[in-house]
Amino acid sequence: MKGSSSQDVIGKTVEPSRKRKRHYRHDNLAGYAFLSPWLIGFVLFVFLPIAASFFLAFTKYDILRAPRWVGLANFEKMFTRDLRYWRSVKVTFFYVFTAIPLRLVFALICAMLLNTKRRMVSVYRALYYAPSVVGTSVAVAVMWREVFGKEGLVNYILAGFGIAGPIWLGDPNTAIWTLIVLAAWQFGSPMLIFLAGLKQIPPELYESASIDGADRWRKFLHVTLPMLTSVILFNMVMQMISGFLIFAQAFIVSNGTGAPMDSLLVYALYLYRQAFVTFKMGYSSAMAWVLLLVIAFFTAIVFKSSQYWVFYESEGGE
Amino acid sequence: MKKLVGCLLVVVMVSSMGLMAFAEDIELRIAWWGSQNRHDRTIKVIEMFMKEHPNIKISYEPSGWNDHWTKMSTQAAGGNLPDIMQQDYARVEEWVEKGMLHPLDELVESGVLDFSNVSEGNLSGGMVNGKLYAVNIGTNSECWLLDVDAFEKAGVALPPQDWTLDDFEKIALEIHEKSGIWGMGDGIDNEQRWKSNYLSSGTWAYSDDGKALGYTDNQLHIDYINMLLRLQEAGAIPSRADEVAEFDGQGVEAKAIVSGKAAMDYMWSNQIVAVWNAAGEDRNIVMVHPPRTKGGTAANYVKPGQFLSVTAHSKHPKEAAMFIDYFTNSVEANKVLLAERGVPISSVVAEGLKPLLTASQLEMFDYMARVEQDSSPLPPPDPIKHAEVIDNVYWPEFMDPILYGQMSVEDGIARFRELASEILAED
Repeated sequence: MKGSSSQDVIGKTVEPSRKRKRHYRHDNLAGYAFLSPWLIGFVLFVFLPIAASFFLAFTKYDILRAPRWVGLANFEKMFTRDLRYWRSVKVTFFYVFTAIPLRLVFALICAMLLNTKRRMVSVYRALYYAPSVVGTSVAVAVMWREVFGKEGLVNYILAGFGIAGPIWLGDPNTAIWTLIVLAAWQFGSPMLIFLAGLKQIPPELYESASIDGADRWRKFLHVTLPMLTSVILFNMVMQMISGFLIFAQAFIVSNGTGAPMDSLLVYALYLYRQAFVTFKMGYSSAMAWVLLLVIAFFTAIVFKSSQYWVFYESEGGE
Repeated sequence: MKKLVGCLLVVVMVSSMGLMAFAEDIELRIAWWGSQNRHDRTIKVIEMFMKEHPNIKISYEPSGWNDHWTKMSTQAAGGNLPDIMQQDYARVEEWVEKGMLHPLDELVESGVLDFSNVSEGNLSGGMVNGKLYAVNIGTNSECWLLDVDAFEKAGVALPPQDWTLDDFEKIALEIHEKSGIWGMGDGIDNEQRWKSNYLSSGTWAYSDDGKALGYTDNQLHIDYINMLLRLQEAGAIPSRADEVAEFDGQGVEAKAIVSGKAAMDYMWSNQIVAVWNAAGEDRNIVMVHPPRTKGGTAANYVKPGQFLSVTAHSKHPKEAAMFIDYFTNSVEANKVLLAERGVPISSVVAEGLKPLLTASQLEMFDYMARVEQDSSPLPPPDPIKHAEVIDNVYWPEFMDPILYGQMSVEDGIARFRELASEILAED
């Protein structure tokens, strides 16, 4: 009797859990099934190519012949014997550390100007965001070539003031500034994010600052900026990463060559030329992985430093 | 579930039956590079061919120069090259070595490709190791364009066919002095001029095996660059900054002679069609040989401008060759193409086109006839490393620093030789 009842009990306990297991497996299966389109796309078009490029970075590959293993030779050539490589690094660093701060500064200024409740504010917001919408488009870059051409808009305006404008796109010293101005002009995205961050600052803080006798500049320094630090961190990281990756604008403004005299040869453009002009796929794959490491390195530095200067309201601050 | 599988099976069977019905039609793909003008003309010719051969369907993939090679290389690696592709003299050998092109000799023997009206010389450019792999679809040559009206206004006589680089310098400076415009347009600092100058003096830029530079005397090059610097300084030619900002990569319609900013310009002979078109039909332009070195032969040669090849991946080489034959020999088709790629190789076609030619094209045809009589022999194609030498050394380490005044000519020449030799010698 006892045996049969325990058997019954055992039977009863086993049955439901088996049903439960089948239920969970069935749930999992449905989950994977819904995931599968994205998952397959990711594996085929993102993961596998990235893995392939890692392999190719250690080979010599010109597409028409099979890849040839060369070990670290690509990296060795890149770091020791390739002058254009270091030139492209210099250009890219100069661009990132000039254009990105400029862009963020303009974004913040504009966000503060737009942080009002006047009637036309939403129109202005759209207008200031518009340049970023057309952002990395080819059309804008082509137009930019015309604007800075020898007899383009900028020189036309300068001539009105009696100044003979330089040949912006032909002079190695001025060409990079056309790109930097283009980047600073497209501050729309960080501006909107700053705007959101500004709207989150509790007005009581400003009120208590006024009571303490703070003027506008001090309010900015001691209330606005500290409260915005988390947004600044986000914008800084995102813009820095996209700054390192810049390609389309440099490609079009320099006609794909990085001219004049390699002053517009940003890293991604040099990578592209190595891959598609001289067909050195292995070398450019190696360059891509070095870029990844560099971006990761700088991002890590920014994040590491963030614990010293970023204030998160959720953590109660200090 | 079973119902679903059943339905799928029915759909598959029906569609495969439908596909079998179409299997009679032959589908070809063709890829070429060029400007919109060329695309429009070529597409019309394709449609004409399809009308004559209703069982052959041709789909086309035109693009620009750079994109074309990127696309073709990728498709070659993927095993799906188009049946017909436009080829270039510098690349035919490489593609043949990698087994990507279908040999055409048997198609010539069987009469599919009819070259009875084509001279041997016009076919030799497409031959590798004595076998024909690519059909020349237009010959051209480097040329100098002269704006006759600008010369008249400056009171300068037109130069003769065998003028030298010294003559050129004098004329360019004189025109600039008398008229204030540039004597010469952009582009004479490119690598083709470097190679052509050495060709004119009897050598070639590269050695026979392509693993080293082919000349030892740098003086010719030094003199040429010094001439460029003098002309730049005097303002007789656009400065390098001008070139980069206004002319590089802008297409031939942007050349200085079109807008009257220069009295002379430099280009390939087939480009005169687009240039004259843009400059206006009422202009008075003549074509002359490029200036040669003192005591040298002509600096230019009859170049097979582009080729058409049948690729190794084609499943219908015979039909692909039929199209190439149509392209070469049909007078009707060439009336549409109107020699935009260069002078057609078939003498019958060239004659048939003469009555239709506009001033610009007549000038090109006459010029090519003159060049055939007075030119240097066709040099060997550029070695594989040529693109790398030009891209990584010629411009950034050599011409640009010199023309921007940041490096002396002698230093530049030594640097060029050192770096170029290194690249050419490596594997």
